Amino acid sequence: MSKLKWTGLILGITGFLMPLVYTFPGLPLAGHFAMSIFLMAAVFWMFETIPIYSTSILVIFFQVILLSAEGFIDYSAAVYDPLPFNHFIATLADPIIILFLGGFVLADASVKYDFDKNLTRVLLKPFGSHTEYIILGLMVVTAILSAFMSNTATTAMMITVILPIIARMEPGDPARIGVVLCIPFAANIGGIATPIGTPPNAVVIAALNQQGLQVAFSSWMIYAAPLAVVMLFIAWKVLLRLYPPATDIISLTLDSKLKTSPNAIVLYTTFAITVLLWVTEGIHGIRSSIVALIPVAVLTLTSAFEKQDIRKLPWEVLWLIAGGIALGISMKETGLAEWMVGAISWDQFGYLMLLAVFGTVALLMSNFLSNTVTASLLIPLGISLAMSGIMEGQVFGMMMIGLVIALASSFAMVLPISTPPNAIAVSTGLLETKDMITSGLIIGLIGLVLIMLLSVIYWPFIL
Amino acid sequence: METKIYILVVEDEPDVLDSIVRDITVFEKFFPIEMADSAEEARELIDSILEKDDEIGLILCDHVLPGDNGVELLVEMQNRAETEDTQKVLITGQAGLQETVRAVNEADLKHYIAKPWQKDELTKITKELLTDYVIDHVEAPLKYMQVLDGERIAEHIRTGRGITDR
Repeated sequence: MSKLKWTGLILGITGFLMPLVYTFPGLPLAGHFAMSIFLMAAVFWMFETIPIYSTSILVIFFQVILLSAEGFIDYSAAVYDPLPFNHFIATLADPIIILFLGGFVLADASVKYDFDKNLTRVLLKPFGSHTEYIILGLMVVTAILSAFMSNTATTAMMITVILPIIARMEPGDPARIGVVLCIPFAANIGGIATPIGTPPNAVVIAALNQQGLQVAFSSWMIYAAPLAVVMLFIAWKVLLRLYPPATDIISLTLDSKLKTSPNAIVLYTTFAITVLLWVTEGIHGIRSSIVALIPVAVLTLTSAFEKQDIRKLPWEVLWLIAGGIALGISMKETGLAEWMVGAISWDQFGYLMLLAVFGTVALLMSNFLSNTVTASLLIPLGISLAMSGIMEGQVFGMMMIGLVIALASSFAMVLPISTPPNAIAVSTGLLETKDMITSGLIIGLIGLVLIMLLSVIYWPFIL
Repeated sequence: METKIYILVVEDEPDVLDSIVRDITVFEKFFPIEMADSAEEARELIDSILEKDDEIGLILCDHVLPGDNGVELLVEMQNRAETEDTQKVLITGQAGLQETVRAVNEADLKHYIAKPWQKDELTKITKELLTDYVIDHVEAPLKYMQVLDGERIAEHIRTGRGITDR
């Protein structure tokens, strides 16, 4: 184990023990246990002493033991009314998790039948052969795919598309760097566009659901997709400015041949129907998590998606999200979140200032931490703050702070460790970390400014 | 400590050994190269590498060596669990048909390079075989991407799900 992990282990255990030994004035007994879990999770997530999904599992485990009605602590004399333990484990079947499961099945089936690859080639064709439009095309396609598939899988796929393109460019052409960077950036940006685009969206939406706020698939897209479009365009311009193409034209050979086996056709149809129903949720009202069962059911019953494919699903991501959701539940139910928020006199800040603080903290944190972890740690605090009524109405305030946290954590793309797509791009060896820092910083900051702008001129009018 | 993946070069003529190592030097930053001039020395190297819990990803081996010959060594490695998956390549001008057939059948020979070789050929084969090895054996192949076949590693990540959103 590295020194960093040891430090994390020691700090994590210390954090866990602290609320058990020390009594914080004003915080009920259950809040102390919730704080133990919170501190341990925060430290383990930050230091990655154990894999981040294990930390999530540990959160649920300790909640069952320490905070549930079936657990080891007797709360009969306390104000806290312990939740049944199935409340905590049910986070693994939260509607948003089922939504993601549907998305995972669609995405993995697409990979299985090369739908993602072939679709990319079809979609890239209209962008012609001018270098700058090819870059735009790559970004648009990456963003569209990553709005429905994992950002990481999309990036890996797109890297297989761009490597041959780069091999055909002049060795000294600065645009080579632009072409490599455009992929992770577009994948990160595309992830914000839909609820299933990236896990932080899930954590935030689930937390809002817990407060009785339903966020329709289509509503999320109305809030976030315009931002994704604008950011994509800005990122494109920034990359062109920083890495101007030396040659105007790149010859592209894009052979695409969509598979036509019966199973592949089933996939295309299911994909189209599911996505159509998702984006029209606002019209027909069928909840997206229910629609998500369609691909799971149809693709498995037709054997387009088989047993070994089910085993290969990224289950640990679902655990990671579930842990994030569970952490939020215990912090709220035990009064810990409220207590923590109450420790600072926020009223001096003013409402926009508060949003800016949360946005900045989220952006900063998620450059170093997992985006999902960032959202998981911040959203309980954000929601408690909104509940306290500081933010011009509880419902409105919760939505606003939720959006700011989710979107800002996705705009962290400064370092290779910021997101897996960034890591993949740097690993090609075609760019240096400093290239990523410069452009990622510019794009992240513009993103933050735009989020703040939308909080003033857009969201208040549609929420 | 992270597991290191070694390249082992076995060749008794110092000049030839040098030129092999020179041709594959681009890989050295990620795959440390060890050299031996006989099967005997190679065995010692293999033992010491395995002792550190490191692996041998690729062996480039001459056939005619003082003492045991190259094919002998490769077959031996094939029969040892820790070196069974090592990608085995003969670089030689003098292996007869019979011995070569033995290397193919009993040592799962991946490639036969006839001397004199072209640098591009050797680099390409090394790259392909190490890519195979890394895809099959390394949980996080990302760090090797830049010296290996990036397209295949990216494709492996796409289909193999070694890395996910987080």
